[in-house]
Formats: sequence, C-alpha cells, structure tokens
Amino acid sequence: MNEILSLDKAQMRYGDGTRALDGLSLDFPSASFTALVGPSGCGKSTALRLLAGLLAPTGGNVTMPTRDQIGFVFQDPTLLAWKSAYDNIALPLKIAGHTRADINQRVGYALDLVGLSGRGAALPRELSGGMKMRVSLARALASEPRILLLDEPFAALDELTRLRLDDDLLHIWQQSKCTVVFVTHSISESAYLAERVAVLTNAGQLAHIENISPPATREGFRSASAYHRAMGNIAAALGHDLNHDFGENLSAGRGSAS
Amino acid sequence: MMRYFLPAFIGILTLGIWEIWVTLANIPPFVLPAPTSIFDALLENANTLFSALAVTLYITTLAFFWAVISGIALAVIFTRARIIEMAFYPYVVTLQVTPVVAIAPLILIWVGFGNVDRALILIAWIVAFFPMLTNTVQGLRATEASLHELMTLSRASWRQRLIYLELPAALPSILTGAKVSGGLALIGAVVAEFVAGSGTGTGLAWRIIEAGNRLEIATMFAALVLLSLLGIFIFYALSIVEWLALRRWHESFQPKST
Repeated sequence: MNEILSLDKAQMRYGDGTRALDGLSLDFPSASFTALVGPSGCGKSTALRLLAGLLAPTGGNVTMPTRDQIGFVFQDPTLLAWKSAYDNIALPLKIAGHTRADINQRVGYALDLVGLSGRGAALPRELSGGMKMRVSLARALASEPRILLLDEPFAALDELTRLRLDDDLLHIWQQSKCTVVFVTHSISESAYLAERVAVLTNAGQLAHIENISPPATREGFRSASAYHRAMGNIAAALGHDLNHDFGENLSAGRGSAS
Repeated sequence: MMRYFLPAFIGILTLGIWEIWVTLANIPPFVLPAPTSIFDALLENANTLFSALAVTLYITTLAFFWAVISGIALAVIFTRARIIEMAFYPYVVTLQVTPVVAIAPLILIWVGFGNVDRALILIAWIVAFFPMLTNTVQGLRATEASLHELMTLSRASWRQRLIYLELPAALPSILTGAKVSGGLALIGAVVAEFVAGSGTGTGLAWRIIEAGNRLEIATMFAALVLLSLLGIFIFYALSIVEWLALRRWHESFQPKST
C-alpha cells in the first residue's frame, strides 16, 4: 500500500488553548474514499486542513503529497463573484503557470465532469446553489489531483440537490480514481458515500472506524441492510442509539429510497 | 419617471417663487439677485467664469488622481505590513484631523513659492486622500478567509493574490471611497483657493471672493452655481464608473428579489 496521505498522532492546539485534534492517526490508502464524521467542533475540518497543508500540526506528523496534487472543496462555493465559471476554474491553473491551450482543455474536461458543459460563461450569481458547488468541484478537479479533500461541501444545499451531487461525486471518484477524504456531519451521507467512515469524538480523537463495502453502483443501496447497519454503528459511536432516536423512520423508510 | 420629474418640479417652483418674491418685495440686487439676473451675470462673465471653472477642475482632478493613486498604494502597503501601518497610521490620522485651513498657509509658503498650483493641489489632496485610504484598507481586509485559503492552496504569490483576489474584491469599497474623495477634492480645491487669495486668483473660489468684494452678488451666485454643477458632475461621473465596473456581478446592482 503506497500511502501518500496520512495523519500520525496529529495534534492541533490553537493559540487560545483549545484543542481541536488530540493524537489522531489515520491512513488514507490510494484511491480510497474516507468520510470523517463527528459533532461540530470535533476537529474534522481541522484534520482536513492539516491534510491540505493549510495548517501545520502542533504535534505528530502529517504525510501528504505536494500541493498541486491536492484538490480542495470548501463548505461554500468560494467563487470569485466577478469571474465567470470558466475563469474561476481556470484561475488556479493560471497561477500555476499552465499554458492557455492546456487550461482550455482542462477546464473543458472539468466542466464536462461536473455536468456543466456549455455554462462556462455564466457568472456565479447566474447559477443555482448546486451549480455553484459544481463549479467549485470542477475547480478542484481541473488540476487532476491525486487527492480530493471536501469540507462539508453539500451541507448548505437542499436535500434533492445534495443526493444528486452525492451520486455525481461517486461517479467522479470512480472515474478519476483519486483518494477522497470527505468531511460531513451527516451520518446517512457518510454511510452512503464512503468505503470507510472515521468517527471523531468531541475531544478530537478517533472513536470508531466503520468499514463498509458498498456496491460500485449504489443502486438500491439506501434500502440495503449493510447501509442501515453502518448508520447504526456510526450513530452508536457518536453516542446515539439510532434505533432509539430514529427507529420509526428507519423501519418506515426501509424499501424506499429515503 | 417621478424620480426625475419631482425634483425638477421643486427646482422650477423654487426659482419661480424666488424671482417673483425678489421683484415684488423690491429686494436690492446686492442682497439677493433674481434668478434671471444670475443667469444674465453668468452669460455676461462667461469667459472669465468658465476659464475659472477650468482651473478649479484642473486642481480638483489632479488632487483626486493623486488621492486615488496614493490611497490605494498606501492601503496595499498597510495591509501587507502591519508594522508599517502601526508606525504611520497615527500620523495619517493627525494629517486628517488637523483643519486644512490651518495648515494651508504653511503649505503655500513651503510648496507654493513660485508654483501656487502645486500648493493648491497638495492642499486639496490632503482633504481627499483619507477616505480613499480607509475605504481601500477596509475593502482589502474584508476579503473572505476561504478565498485566501484558495489562493494559498494555489500557491499564489502575494502579487497574484493582490491582482486576482484582493483588489477586485475591494473594488466596491474603493469606488465608494472614490465617490467621497472626488467630492472632497473639490471642497479642498475651493478651500485652497480661498486661502491662497489674490495673486493666483484664477479659480472659481477666487472669483467668488472677488465678486463679493465688488458687491457683484449675481456674479457670485453664478460662480456658485458653476461650483455646484461641477460637484454634481464629479459625483455622477464616478457613479457611472461604479455602475460600469460592478453592474454585472455585485449584489448592490442586482434587482432585489423579495
């Protein structure tokens, strides 16, 4: 296993003494899809920023490739309002010094990948929330990164848009075979998307690892028992008994794609 | 329609009442001239008044130009090097809060010797510079943190960060500063001409003093009208620049959805 991405007893303490991560160790095998789940303030975003090199750990080690091999998707679309979708996607490539022809080809590819071909000229304000997020995703993918880090990317979107983007993300991952680390606070989203869900505690420690073996196409997976078992285990690790909290929804939702 | 019709109606009504009242009450023209005699004075002294207008416009424009250049440049320096800001900011404030009329005679002696225009421009610049600086600093500082992280991830140099992100993001604030600064440059130019007094005696402000001394109150009003028109012209010219620069992407120019 060639590990290009890992956290080794990573610690993060901020200047005011708050401890965001306390000795978190996680390996991210090449081409794997890992979700980080935890309560707000548990340090899952901090862990992602360590992996991106946006923060340096105050203790422990972070192994990561060079920055140009990392794609990062923020919680908000984080687009430049005065630039078109095309120019937003092109900007990191332009900064990295790619040729115009190369940029053109890569942006076209990325727009295609997120299903926005033909919308390159649109300004962010002319796009819906879901489309803006797609542009943001395309920007991260345009450099063809080996690693894709996503920080609660679809949290602000409506449920239907989110489900669609989840499926699109899976498709993109399967096509590009990059390593994905996906931060979310949604138990169902993590269990649906990831091969492996790492549950963090409030104190920034690893509480549980849930290994899921989802089918390549997630057709019908939302009603599969493996999916519900995973959700139950993740919820239990978070200190919630899912059967207790959501028991009714669970049995009612079985059989339909909830 | 009402937006234009209503103020026009109020203006015409006021002028009409003014004209009738001055005639009926037999108010001497050296106290309050009738609008028609102000207009006559404007035509009669068109040559001197319009060349005076050109001089005031010249002083105002140059002061405004330097205020924009130096305000943006200093704001960039301040936001790049906190230590320079700490060292110099109190003096910038001192320059701003000291009444310019009080420093103007000194500036005239030091700078104006042999070149009064240069002193006039400097005085007007002192008045116009400050809002340009503070608005640009505020705009540069208000750039979203995640956009900065995006630049860090793209390994942008400080110059790329400035050109691609900070200056465009600060543009709305910069243009707001410019609208204030443009008006202040005119005020500064008038104050400077007042203080400089005779000897130079070519701008509109000097024509006002001169006409006052000769009790040519109608000419005084005519010069005043030209000054107001100049101020209005500056404000709307800058508003048009703002509209051209921001209308496509900035939220303040988008139709409100309720």
